[in-house]
Amino acid sequence: MRTVISLALLFSLLGMPLCRAVLPADAESDGALGATVAESHDTVAEEGGHHGLPPAAPDLFHIGPLPVSNSMVVTWAVAVGLIVMAQRSTRRMQAVPSGIQNFFEWMVESLYGFLDGVVGPELAKKTFWFFATVFIFILFSNWFGLIPGVGTIGWGHDTEHGFQVVSPLLRGANADLNMTFGMASIFFVLWLVWAIQANGVKGFVLHIFGPKGDTTGFMKIMMIFIFMVVGVLELVSILFRPVSLSFRLYGNIFAGENMLESMALLVPWLGWLIPIPFYFLEVLVGLVQALVFMLLTAVFTLLICTHEEGHEGAHH
Amino acid sequence: MLAAGGGIISDLSDTARETALTFGLNWPHFLSQVISFCIVAFLLYLWAYKPILKLLEQRRQQIAEGLENAEKIKKELQATEAARQEILNKTGTEAARLLDEARAIADKLREQESQKAIASAEQIIAKAREAAQQDHGRMLAELKKEIGRLVVQTTVTVTGKVLTPEDQKRLAEETTRQISA
Repeated sequence: MRTVISLALLFSLLGMPLCRAVLPADAESDGALGATVAESHDTVAEEGGHHGLPPAAPDLFHIGPLPVSNSMVVTWAVAVGLIVMAQRSTRRMQAVPSGIQNFFEWMVESLYGFLDGVVGPELAKKTFWFFATVFIFILFSNWFGLIPGVGTIGWGHDTEHGFQVVSPLLRGANADLNMTFGMASIFFVLWLVWAIQANGVKGFVLHIFGPKGDTTGFMKIMMIFIFMVVGVLELVSILFRPVSLSFRLYGNIFAGENMLESMALLVPWLGWLIPIPFYFLEVLVGLVQALVFMLLTAVFTLLICTHEEGHEGAHH
Repeated sequence: MLAAGGGIISDLSDTARETALTFGLNWPHFLSQVISFCIVAFLLYLWAYKPILKLLEQRRQQIAEGLENAEKIKKELQATEAARQEILNKTGTEAARLLDEARAIADKLREQESQKAIASAEQIIAKAREAAQQDHGRMLAELKKEIGRLVVQTTVTVTGKVLTPEDQKRLAEETTRQISA
């Protein structure tokens, strides 16, 4: 825990004085990095001196044919941080935990207990690794994005309102749709696998299109028709889940970063003070969004894996 | 109908393409983020969830065993306490019985000793009384004899006569008879 606090303080101390120490894009235009950044700078400039974070995460450099964006750098930083902390916490585990082991144990045990209550013991045992990773990764990515310097140090140009950063060196991982859509897509694939494991292919189709309730005669035919139509709607809703999940998270984090920047620029000489309450709000938003993503995915999984009493016999 | 459907799909496809372009959604970035997330998930599972959940399970079992042992110890303690109480009760009863017996024996002995002491004392008193009577008789005889001698001597001195042994015997006997009367 001490290490985490030290790292956060170090980042803060390094980031704060550098908040305005931005790099002019023209000065870097010789290298590949500068070229990529200048490209994005030009795009933004053409849009008419846009203030705030661009919707797309700009590329910083390439590793071979693969582009590396500023949000990918943050993703890797958070990933490395989490992996190192996890490894350190469980390297020499003690029966009586202390320090980082205690923190990780608390986090894992709390999450497990929470998910156990939401999806039930069997499903929790099977799916915990995914939901816990989603929560932990989203939470730490969101909070990492609040460290001073993320989104404010980068390449830019002089405008009437002062120096504007158009290509930040770092960008919140969840302020990139590729990240949020990536997680939502992984969930979609896993959801499909878990759903088929729990219901079988026939059961899965019946779960979506099958009529519910006990009816006979003409009513049964009507119910079959109605539930076929409902099933189509359900299918559309399922197919749009990755979109809604990813845009919800992306929108909240992207909007939060833009709001912080807007608040900082609202009254230039009070730029250090006005964003402070919104920082606390964003800390809360970071937690809430992580919780919302995890809970929604968990509930979607629970809904498809829960057998209805009427279909219990048919599935087994 | 088919043309309308195709139109809708085409529109949706255009919208999706436009949205992806606006938000920078593309395959290289998307795959990179997916791989990063999968690596994080795998390593967290390997280094965090698996060992921690295993440890928590072990701890849960240890606590359960501890509670079970505590319950067992509690029951054993209760059984020991009951046995101790039973032994104490038995010992108490036995001690009371022994005490009663001892008391009865002591009473009996005391009675016997008292009887013996009384008998002994009575015997001593009787002997003492007998000795006293003997002493009294002996002193009385000596006294009579002395008085008789004094009377004879007084008579000789007063009368100036020499008394014969028969006179002396008669006078002594007369004196003794007078005293005894």
